[in-house]
Amino acid sequence: MTPTTEIEVKNLDFYYSGDIHALQKISLPIYKYKVTALIGPSGCGKTTLLRCFNRMHDLYPKHRYEGEILFQDKNILANDIDLINLRSRVGMVFQKPTPFPMSIAENIAYGLRLKGIKNKSELVGRIEEALKHAALWTEVRDKLNASAYDLSGGQQQRLVIARALAVEPEVLLFDEPTSALDPISTAKIEELVVSLKKDVTIIIVTHNMQQAARVSDMTGFLYMGDLIEYGSTEKIFTNPDNKQTDDYITGRFG
Amino acid sequence: MNIEQKRKIESLVALTLSGLAAAIGLFWLVYILGDVLIHGLGALHISLFFNDPAAAGVEGGGLRNAFVGQLMITLVATLIGVPVGVLGGTFLAEYARGKAIARTISIISDIMVSVPSIVIGAFVYAILVRPLHHFSGWAGAFALSIIMIPVVLRTTENMLSLVPWTLREAAFALGAPYYKVIIQIVYRGAATGILTGILLSIARVAGETAPLLFTSFNNNFFSTDMNRPIASLTVTIFQYAMGPYKSWHSQAWGAALVITLFILLLTIAGRLILKWRYKQ
Repeated sequence: MTPTTEIEVKNLDFYYSGDIHALQKISLPIYKYKVTALIGPSGCGKTTLLRCFNRMHDLYPKHRYEGEILFQDKNILANDIDLINLRSRVGMVFQKPTPFPMSIAENIAYGLRLKGIKNKSELVGRIEEALKHAALWTEVRDKLNASAYDLSGGQQQRLVIARALAVEPEVLLFDEPTSALDPISTAKIEELVVSLKKDVTIIIVTHNMQQAARVSDMTGFLYMGDLIEYGSTEKIFTNPDNKQTDDYITGRFG
Repeated sequence: MNIEQKRKIESLVALTLSGLAAAIGLFWLVYILGDVLIHGLGALHISLFFNDPAAAGVEGGGLRNAFVGQLMITLVATLIGVPVGVLGGTFLAEYARGKAIARTISIISDIMVSVPSIVIGAFVYAILVRPLHHFSGWAGAFALSIIMIPVVLRTTENMLSLVPWTLREAAFALGAPYYKVIIQIVYRGAATGILTGILLSIARVAGETAPLLFTSFNNNFFSTDMNRPIASLTVTIFQYAMGPYKSWHSQAWGAALVITLFILLLTIAGRLILKWRYKQ
């Protein structure tokens, strides 16, 4: 069975600060309900590519996209795209946990309220659902009104994932979600990522190659703004076509 | 003498000089506060707060008019200064972040903070008192709010820029429009800092005399009409301290003590909030 293509990146070039050419002619399909990992050495453009999918670059001046990113056949790089709508459909989890300065429950209610959900009992239900979804419910059920800052780093990261899931995105972007966490929290997040792919399409940027191998179905290797190789994770990690990919995954550079 | 002994002596000299400088500074501070306390405590009487001034030279009476006037001027100044300052600071830190206009306004605000307050008094005199041909409470409040705005604006700007960008990105990533990100996330993160800035700016203007001399002037009678000259503690202290009567001097000390304590409490509250915030 061939998987459905959720996002199609076509000849994407990206420039920031005027003319720094960060991504060059990137083309790849992102499959629905699969985990796609983007790997490569620091500065290769993997995070830059990830931040194109929800147009995070638009927050900063002097950026320029060329080419197309078709999300369900609609070019999200077009000028008439409603960024608020796009970002509610393409969620994002960052490197460091980013809980808001409010209670655990309020953190999740925040996204729901943005979607126009105001009914108290519906909010309560959706908060519980999201926390269960992110495997955090049993740990926080008794302290939903406590500050989100009281949680450990790993719990905060799962809270942020719950917050992103609550608005029911179709795609979830992970930007090195475990690089600030301890091994046990990391394992929990990885389990979570794998379990989430039945509901959302996931793109994850990671520095950790073992992590890419453990959680992803597809892997793209980027180097100096080029997509060197893209294929099934199994193939990339066992029998890559490209010499550079082979060198990187065997730890000879990067 | 070897190099270690030499360093020890140098260190001792530096320590003595800086300690001495600190002692000189503290001495005057304690002296002033002590003097105000000693003279002021004697004048603190319930009638000071609830009676209006007696006829010149007559014993008794109080400064109710000045307390009420001072509160009204400060309150109106706060109502003008805080919204303008907070919104201006928000513009600088958020919408104009990194742009030349933000830097220009920041620099001008810093200059405004150090402009002698009497210049601001003269300015308001020229635009609000001269053309209308009378002193007024509004003019006084306006002058104080002009002093307040740059203080609140700069504190707000600084506090907002302390809120990490990743927090804003996280809110944007959920599909929040910018104004909601600012009101619901950024303000929450910076609330205590901004509140402290507001308290300190109130403390700053509550002790101003010069800008009021030109604007709200003074009034020996009880008045709550902001369209007319209105009494204030600071101007009353100035007038009474310069006056020939013993009872005036005593009341001036009392008023000085009250306003000093008020400013001290505001400042301490501001510091405590900041300390509490950063312990979390």
